[in-house]
Amino acid sequence: MSVVAKEPRPSSVLGEIGVPRLFAVGAVVILALALQSTVLSYATILGVIPQLVLVVVLCLAFTDGERVGLVAGFFGGLLQDLQLPEGSIVGLYALVYTLVGYAIGVMREYTPSESVWTPVLTVAGATAVVEFSYAGLSIILGQEWIGLVTTAKVVGLVVLYNTLLTPLVFPVVKRVADRYRPERVHRW
Amino acid sequence: MYRRSGRGRLLLLIFLALSILIITLDFRQNEGGPLERAKDISATVVAPIQRGLTTVFRPVGEFFASIGELGGLRSKNQRLEAELEAAESEIQNARALENDFEKLTELHDVQEPWTAMETLTASVQSNVSSNYRWARVIDKGRDDGIRPDMAVVNADGLVGKIVRPVTEHTATVLLLIDPRGAAGARISDRRDTGKIQGNGDNDRLALELIGSNSDVFVGDIVVSSGYNEGIFPPSIPIGIVDEVIGDVRAPDHTIIVDPFVNFTELDYVLVLLETGRSVAQDGDGG
Repeated sequence: MSVVAKEPRPSSVLGEIGVPRLFAVGAVVILALALQSTVLSYATILGVIPQLVLVVVLCLAFTDGERVGLVAGFFGGLLQDLQLPEGSIVGLYALVYTLVGYAIGVMREYTPSESVWTPVLTVAGATAVVEFSYAGLSIILGQEWIGLVTTAKVVGLVVLYNTLLTPLVFPVVKRVADRYRPERVHRW
Repeated sequence: MYRRSGRGRLLLLIFLALSILIITLDFRQNEGGPLERAKDISATVVAPIQRGLTTVFRPVGEFFASIGELGGLRSKNQRLEAELEAAESEIQNARALENDFEKLTELHDVQEPWTAMETLTASVQSNVSSNYRWARVIDKGRDDGIRPDMAVVNADGLVGKIVRPVTEHTATVLLLIDPRGAAGARISDRRDTGKIQGNGDNDRLALELIGSNSDVFVGDIVVSSGYNEGIFPPSIPIGIVDEVIGDVRAPDHTIIVDPFVNFTELDYVLVLLETGRSVAQDGDGG
């Protein structure tokens, strides 16, 4: 998607998120969802699909902070919700991803270094929290759910798969984020 | 890194409120409400990309799968030739039977069998990106006459049923192996009916018969039961009995059924364009 990078229109609520950046974030999230529901859903690890949308949201939050993180989280989560067959709660992924996008965006300022391991470990930890929260909230809200042992197995495999994907996804997301950041501090 | 004021807390509150609003809207199940509209829009945006990716990557996957099969091709060919001959003679028999059957059906004014129903072939466009739901999205939708509760089959047997979201050009197939995709079922040639349900496993369905008074054996064929127990037309093949746990006459038995359909390799499916329930109830949405 070629969006001409013009001067961002700062608004009080959106903070420093410019319109071009909003489009870039949207495009990346949509592509992630399309990949997750087609190619990746057949390239499973023991039948488990990775949550690429979540990885992208976390990487965006990590490179661009809490505002971009929570907007990407809401948008990505909602798109994922809208695809689910009836019987799932629409809006639950949106809620959980919004929260985790914000949290990781805030937490990144306290991470020790620019180490390559930081985003990888962040994704591993955040994925576990998100997956268990989603399962927990679904059960609390009265959803029919698979057994707890199976759930734990699925969550473990999702954490593993998401962690493996991060070294591939993070550089791509960082490039897009750098390209559309209003104040271009550094480019690739 | 620089600091900014507010940390986007207002933005967070706005989007959290939005999420919760959406969840409440979903619980109210407004038909044709803003959520249905959002599903249509999201499908319009995402579906073309999914179709593109599936078109590009499906042949790649099949290519790698066929490399692994090369060695067995010759023996497979011989086996298939033998099977073909056997099948041809069976077809002759079947034609004669079909003739008789049609005459009898007309005579007794019996419900139209599912094999005679109008069908629509659809290509599987994507999976749903969840590890807790078992469903596929197909490339036909409301505009093609697809409505929720229609049965979906392939050459092997019952695949599942159409559920929401059904958008203009896409529809969702809830697979029989989804825990919420239960169907009315019975043992072929017998009257005892029950419920068949999956738990996400690709090769295990659990059948529970209600008030059964005949034995069930490994190798018995399981088919869908009629309209009055569920939404599926009767006699669609489901699977073969793999294991019988407990006494089928007692309430706490389980019959493990191995489904005929290979749920990991669904490329094309057939939608039966009639439902057991009144189609008119759902039909005015489009």
